[in-house]
Amino acid sequence: MENINLTPEESFSIINKAIANFKLNYRETAKVFLLWGWVLAIASFSNFIILKILYSREAFELIGLFSLCNWAVFLLIGSIIMFFMERKLNKEKKVFSYLESHFKNLWTVTAASFIIATFLCIKLEINPPPIMLLIAGIATTTSGLLIKYRPLIIGGMAFFIFSLVATFVTNEYISLIVFGAIICGYLIPGYLLKSAKV
Amino acid sequence: MYNDLDPLLHSQLRLAIISMLIYSEKVEFAHIKEETKAASGNISIQIKNLQEAGYIKVEKTFKNNYPKTFVSITDKGVKAFESYVNDLKKYINPKK
Repeated sequence: MENINLTPEESFSIINKAIANFKLNYRETAKVFLLWGWVLAIASFSNFIILKILYSREAFELIGLFSLCNWAVFLLIGSIIMFFMERKLNKEKKVFSYLESHFKNLWTVTAASFIIATFLCIKLEINPPPIMLLIAGIATTTSGLLIKYRPLIIGGMAFFIFSLVATFVTNEYISLIVFGAIICGYLIPGYLLKSAKV
Repeated sequence: MYNDLDPLLHSQLRLAIISMLIYSEKVEFAHIKEETKAASGNISIQIKNLQEAGYIKVEKTFKNNYPKTFVSITDKGVKAFESYVNDLKKYINPKK
């Protein structure tokens, strides 16, 4: 590119080209959704198995503790993988966009909301899944709207539906509702995003 | 009435650099080189000009012992870009 003077039309063409070339790295975004999709899907399924065993043994007093420990372990594993994954991605990154920054802020606030909601649910003796799925739905739908990606918006809305469904389900099967919500809300949009051509 | 176009932005390479920065918090020098296909020396000179005008900030870091240069736009740069685009519109659509 030479450093020559321009006509107004040429100037607009340069600006438009730079804006058109700007794009979010869909593969990077997909990696995050797939990571948390798999971690949470495994966590919800293992939670289902744990609850199934505890219900069959009528060990009702252990349900809360075992369930909490199960989620805590998987969230810790997810956070550790996420930390190293992000560190690797940042090393290779050449463009730090505002959109990615908004994304990061949105999910940091969402993570804080999950923690606070967990505390509130324990304190108020409410079953957490409907509230958690609602929060996940808000963040996922907003993410989809931010990057204008329809499967992610639909995935976010699926969380809202699963959140309502979860209020009608009792005992161990609520974990299967969470499992289904994670597949529809994170994994399917994540794989579609990974294969999306930008 | 026509305003004079900002001479600092009214050049192919400098405009391309500023346009690239407008949507990003920061962009690495190597990315600017890839996108503009300009010579490193030429880019360095234009970055220096934009930096001296206060339109952009330059941050030099090291990653794995390799130097990396990141460039970001300042508030002054954003304002200059916005008024440049508004002035351009007047040239293209004088009645508006």
